[in-house]
Amino acid sequence: MASQAQKLAYVDGKLGAPTSGQQTTRIVFNTIEAPGTTSSLIFFRNFQGLSNGQTNLTQNRLDSSESLVIKTIWLAQINATNVLQNFGGFRSETISIIVGNQTVVKNLPLQFNEGATGQTFDRLHENAGVNASPNALATNLFQVVMPTEIRLLTDIVIPPQVAFEVRIDSDNNVYGAGAVVCALSGYGKIFSAGNSF
Amino acid sequence: MITAQDKILHVASKLGLTSLKDMQASTGAVYDVDTDLSGQIFSNATRHGNPGVTNINENQFEVNEALLVENIAFYVRSTSGNTQNFQENYGSNAVIVFDLVIGNKRVMKDTPVFAAGSPYVFATAGKRYFIPEEDLPGMQYVPRHQVFMEGAGVLIPPQVQWYVQYTVFDVVTGAIIVPTAATAIGCYLFGTKVLLNFNTTI
Repeated sequence: MASQAQKLAYVDGKLGAPTSGQQTTRIVFNTIEAPGTTSSLIFFRNFQGLSNGQTNLTQNRLDSSESLVIKTIWLAQINATNVLQNFGGFRSETISIIVGNQTVVKNLPLQFNEGATGQTFDRLHENAGVNASPNALATNLFQVVMPTEIRLLTDIVIPPQVAFEVRIDSDNNVYGAGAVVCALSGYGKIFSAGNSF
Repeated sequence: MITAQDKILHVASKLGLTSLKDMQASTGAVYDVDTDLSGQIFSNATRHGNPGVTNINENQFEVNEALLVENIAFYVRSTSGNTQNFQENYGSNAVIVFDLVIGNKRVMKDTPVFAAGSPYVFATAGKRYFIPEEDLPGMQYVPRHQVFMEGAGVLIPPQVQWYVQYTVFDVVTGAIIVPTAATAIGCYLFGTKVLLNFNTTI
């Protein structure tokens, strides 16, 4: 089976994108402030007004010469008093990742990886067994839940200069007045000028 | 060792699905809840809300879409739509015995999922937990109710119907436990997914 590095080099080669560059681990993230109650969240679409602490991109695409393999999807919901909540509150919701005009992750459910329910897609997620019943007593300094995290089985590539977004669909879930954050993590390449300047 | 991709391509080849290899590889899961209390999951998905109860429109994949099932899990959906733990609703004495049927073939046969914690998962132990209400250290384990498939899993090919048939028993007495609308049994199938796409460059 191809490694993440091989997959990235293969896709970049197919697209004619530069295959040189600094190899690294890359995490891109985006925040939606005050999402409220909604059936649709779209991450990596709006960057207006967000600080560097709320997103590490300025547009919904990677720079030329930069690319990323998505291996992990991470989602967090923090309420207005800075307490971490279960993302979407255990209610059914699905995530889709669209790269260019292609859906590369389609309606993948999230609620099973929120902890407390005794479920996660993979075997070793430790927070699968945490009971969050004292959630009401949690504070920003006494965290009783963990963010939602899904490890993908296949390598999904975001090539350079191609728009991407992450969509969450739900049955009018409550995301609150704080913020929700989405991070995509994996192997990546960043621009390296070397001695070309 | 055969990988997930190898298995998908092998089955596709056997079934004459020559274009499956050109589709988008992904990670996917399908879920549904037996809100009808019929003893079957996925077969009534057409009538269920999406994504509140299920994330499929029918219990078969469209052309050139497939799922290699690598993990089967059971949970409880409350009437308010919350995903809950099976053991916390049915007690440690409950057991789900299920079949997974693809087309007219039973690929998982009379498989038990014990409420107390199944043998298929490493992380059956939950967390030692502090219970603030009682101001003392409490011990609560939240068992997992999953079957991680040995080997490379089982492929659900395109355009073939599948469903899960289950019964909940009391493992102590052998009696059948009848689910209610407030404790409807849900199931998800997770694994390597093939998505229909007209190019494979990404």
